Amino acid sequence: MKKILLPALFALGLSSQAQMKADDVKTFTLKNGMKFLIVEDNSIPNANMYMFYKVGSRNEYQGITGLSHFFEHMMFNGAKKYGPKLFDQTMELNGGANNAYTTENVTVYTNWFPSAATEVIFDLEGDRIASLSIDPKMVESERGVVLSERSTGLENSPWEFLTQSVQATAFQEHPYHWPVIGYEDDMKNWKQADLERYFKTYYAPNNCVTVIAGNVKFDEMKRLAEKYIEQIPAQPEPPIVHTVEPAQTGERRITVQKDVATPYLYIAYKTPEARHEDFYALTILSDILSSGKSSRLYAAIVDKKQMATEISTSYGQSFDPTLFSFYAIASKGINELFLEKAIYEELEKIKKDGVTEKELQKIKNQKLMEFYGQIETINGKSNNIGTYEVFFGDYKKMFTAPDAYNKVSLDDVKRVAKKYFIKSARTVGVQKPSVED
Amino acid sequence: MKYIKQTLSIFLLLVLANNQVKAQGYQLPQYEKFTLQNGLTVYLVEQKEVPVISVSLIMPAGAIYDGAKSGLASLTATALKHGTKNFTKAKLEEELDFVGAYINTYASKESAGLSAKFASKDKTKMLALVKEVLLQPSFDAIEFEKEKKRLLANLEQQKESPRSIMPAYYDKFMYGSHVYGNIIQGKKSTVTALTLADVKAFYKQNYLPEGSAIALAGDFNSNEMKATITALLSGWKKGTAPQKNLAANPIPKTTSSRVLLINKDDARETTFYIGAPGISRNNPDYIAIDVVNTLFGGRFTSMLNDELRVNTGLTYGANSRFGTLKNAGTFTISTFTANKTTEPAIDKALEVLSKLHSNGIDEKGLTSAKNYVKGQFPPRYETAGQLSGLLTQMFWYNFDESFINNFEKNVDGLTLEKAKEIIAKYFPKDKLQFVMVGKSSEIKKLVEKYGTVTEVQIKEEIKN
Repeated sequence: MKKILLPALFALGLSSQAQMKADDVKTFTLKNGMKFLIVEDNSIPNANMYMFYKVGSRNEYQGITGLSHFFEHMMFNGAKKYGPKLFDQTMELNGGANNAYTTENVTVYTNWFPSAATEVIFDLEGDRIASLSIDPKMVESERGVVLSERSTGLENSPWEFLTQSVQATAFQEHPYHWPVIGYEDDMKNWKQADLERYFKTYYAPNNCVTVIAGNVKFDEMKRLAEKYIEQIPAQPEPPIVHTVEPAQTGERRITVQKDVATPYLYIAYKTPEARHEDFYALTILSDILSSGKSSRLYAAIVDKKQMATEISTSYGQSFDPTLFSFYAIASKGINELFLEKAIYEELEKIKKDGVTEKELQKIKNQKLMEFYGQIETINGKSNNIGTYEVFFGDYKKMFTAPDAYNKVSLDDVKRVAKKYFIKSARTVGVQKPSVED
Repeated sequence: MKYIKQTLSIFLLLVLANNQVKAQGYQLPQYEKFTLQNGLTVYLVEQKEVPVISVSLIMPAGAIYDGAKSGLASLTATALKHGTKNFTKAKLEEELDFVGAYINTYASKESAGLSAKFASKDKTKMLALVKEVLLQPSFDAIEFEKEKKRLLANLEQQKESPRSIMPAYYDKFMYGSHVYGNIIQGKKSTVTALTLADVKAFYKQNYLPEGSAIALAGDFNSNEMKATITALLSGWKKGTAPQKNLAANPIPKTTSSRVLLINKDDARETTFYIGAPGISRNNPDYIAIDVVNTLFGGRFTSMLNDELRVNTGLTYGANSRFGTLKNAGTFTISTFTANKTTEPAIDKALEVLSKLHSNGIDEKGLTSAKNYVKGQFPPRYETAGQLSGLLTQMFWYNFDESFINNFEKNVDGLTLEKAKEIIAKYFPKDKLQFVMVGKSSEIKKLVEKYGTVTEVQIKEEIKN
C-alpha cells in the first residue's frame, strides 16, 4: 500500500490507493538543457512522449502571424536521416501514431507507441530537432493544408469568428491579439528565412520539456536521451515577449455578422496568468458558474429563465494575462442584450453575497474527480505533468493542486469576482445574422 | 493541430495490439458475467488504478424504433433525467454535481444507453440514483417542454456546421426507408409533434431488461457488487411481448451513382462523403477489412491522406471508414476542400480508390498496417470507462473475449493474397453515392458528372 496522496484527502473520506504521486515522476536534464520527466507505468504495454516547446503565437508579430502553427506542420516534413514522409511512415511502421497542437503559448508534439518502439521514437525526434530540412516544395503544399485547416474551422465552428474578433478587441498591443491559425494574408506570405530563424531560435533543446510515461525504465530513457538528443547544441535563450497589454480603461463592444439561427454572445474579462496567486480562486469561480447543470449560470439562465440554449465559461493556463470567457447562445426570440444582462445579474449576486460553503465544497469534490481522470491514463499523466511544468514552473504543482484548491476560501471567491468582473475590463462580442438594426 | 484524429468505426475499434518484440499480446482483464432472473445481463470487472467506478448500460431502445416519430428514442433517453420518484430534476443534478459524478442517458441508432462515473466511496448513493433514473423516471411535463424547445433550437444550430449534419443526411441517403435511415436527433416537424405520452409509451415498450446489459468497471469487490446489482435491478420487469427486429428487413439496393447536394449559400468549402454499402459488425472478415482500410484511409500515411493532403495540399485531412451496425453498414470516404478545388479533390479521391483496385497493396504496406493496428490498441482499453463500454459492446454485437484475445493472431494471419480478396470484395468500384454540403451556384454543374444530382437546401428539413 502506497502513501496517501495528500493530507487534504482525508477530509474527503478517501481510502488510500495505489495512486500516482509526485515521487513517481523522475527527472533529469541533459547537458544541452532539455529537461526530461519520466513516469514508469506498466499498466499497458505502451508508452508516449510529449514534447512541450515554449513557442506559440505570442512569439509572433504582425506579418508572420500563424507561423508557430505552420512550423508545427513543417516538423513532420522531413529531416536529414528521415526525409519527407519518412517521419510518419517510420513511426506507423513501428506501431506508433502522433499528433501535435499549437496554442498562443506552446507547441506540443505527442507520440503514442508500443514501448518496444521507444528507441525508434528517440531516433526520429533527435533527427528532426538536430537537422530539420525545410524543403520549399513541402512549404508550398503544406501552406494549402493549413489554409484548409483555417477554412474548415470557420466553416464548422460557429464560435471561431466571434472569439477571434473579441480576442483582437480585448488585446490591442499584446500578441494574444491575433489568432493562432494566423491571418490569411500572412499565411500566404511566410518566407523561408522566417521558418529557418524560427527553427534555430525556438526548437533548441533548452526550450523544450519532454515527458515520457508508460511501460519504460528510467535508466533506459536516460541512456536513449543521451544517445539521441544530448549532442544537439543549446541555443541562446529566445527573446522574451516584452509587450505588456496596457490596462483596459473602458468596456469594449464588437458585433460581427454570420448566418446563425440565434445570436451568439461572448463576454471576456481581463484576468491574470497561470502563475498569479488568484489563479486557483478564478478557476473555482469558473466552475461554480458553469460546471454541471446545478451551476449558477446553467441553473439560472438555461434552465430557469430559458434565455440561452447553452452557456459556459473558461479560464485557462497562459504565460501572460489572459481572458475569463463567457459563451452563450440566445434562445429563440431572446434579445442578446437581455441575455447579457441576465449574466451580469448572476455575477453581481456573487460579488455582493459570495458563494455558499456547499458550492465551494462541490467544486473541490469535482476537482478531485478531475484529478483522477488526469492520472487514469498514461496520456493524461504526460499531458498534465508537462502542462504543470511549463505553465506553473514545476510538475510537482500538479500534485499539490488539490491542496491549493482546498485552500481557496469563500472570501477568496468573492474577492476575485469583485476584483476582475468589472465593466471597464470587459469586452463583449455579439454574432448575429442581421447587424444593421 | 496537425491532424483530426478519426474513428475507424463508430461503434468499436477492433484494432488490437501487442508488444511487437515480446510475443505477449493484450488480453482482456478477468471479468464476471451473469444473468438476472429478469434477463438482464451483468458484467463486472475490477480495475483499481484510481478510486472510481464506471457504469455502462445498453438497451434495445434506439432510433430504429422511432416509427414515424423521428427523434422519439433520443428524447425519451434524455427525459429519463428529468426527475425520478424521489428526486426532482434539480435535486438529481445537485446530488450528482456535488460529488463530481455524472449519469448520461442517450439514444444511438440501434440502442439506448446510460453511462455513469463516480468515486467508489459514493457507490451506494450513486447506484441508487442510476436505478431511479432507469426504473423510476417521473417524466416531468414542464421539463419535457423545456427540453423540446432546447432540442428544436439545437436542430437549427446544427445547420451552422456541415460536419455535424452530414451523418443524418448520409444515413437517410444510404439506407432509404430502412430503419437504419432514421434520424437519431429527429426533425423539426416530428419533434414539434412529440408528446409526453409518446415518451412514456416508448419507455414502456422498449426499456426492457431481457435485451439489455449493464457493465461495471472500477474500484470495487466483485462479490459485493454482484449482490448489490442483483438486489438493485432484479425488480426491473420483463416485457410482455418480444420486440420486433425491425433492422432485419432488407436494405434497399443502390442501382446507380447518385449525388445529394445540400446547398449552403455561404459555404467557403465543400464537405463531402463518397460512400457505398459496407458490412455488418459480425462480418467474419471484420479484422482483415480494418487492416486494409487502415492502409487505404485509416491513418495519417494512408493512401487517401497522402494523396489529398500531403502530396497536393487540397485538404487538411481525408479518411475512410467502415461504419457497422448489427445488420448492415456503410463504407465512407470523407474529406473537405475549398469551393474552387471541389472537382480536383473528388477526382483525386476516386483516383485513389481506383488505384487500390488496380495496384493493390504490397507486403511492406501490409506489415506496417498490421503493426499500426496492434500498436494503437492497448490505450483504447486502459480506463474503467473504456472497459465497461467494451463489455456492453460485446453483449450487443455478440462476441466474447476470444475475439479480443485472439485479435493479434488474426491480424498477423492476414496474407497479401487474402488482402487482395478483401479489396475486391468489400471496397466499392462503382455505383458510388455522393453526399456534399457546398455552394450550389459554384459546384452544381461540375458534380453532375458523378451521378444524378438531387439538390436540397441546408435550411430545409431532411426529406424522407
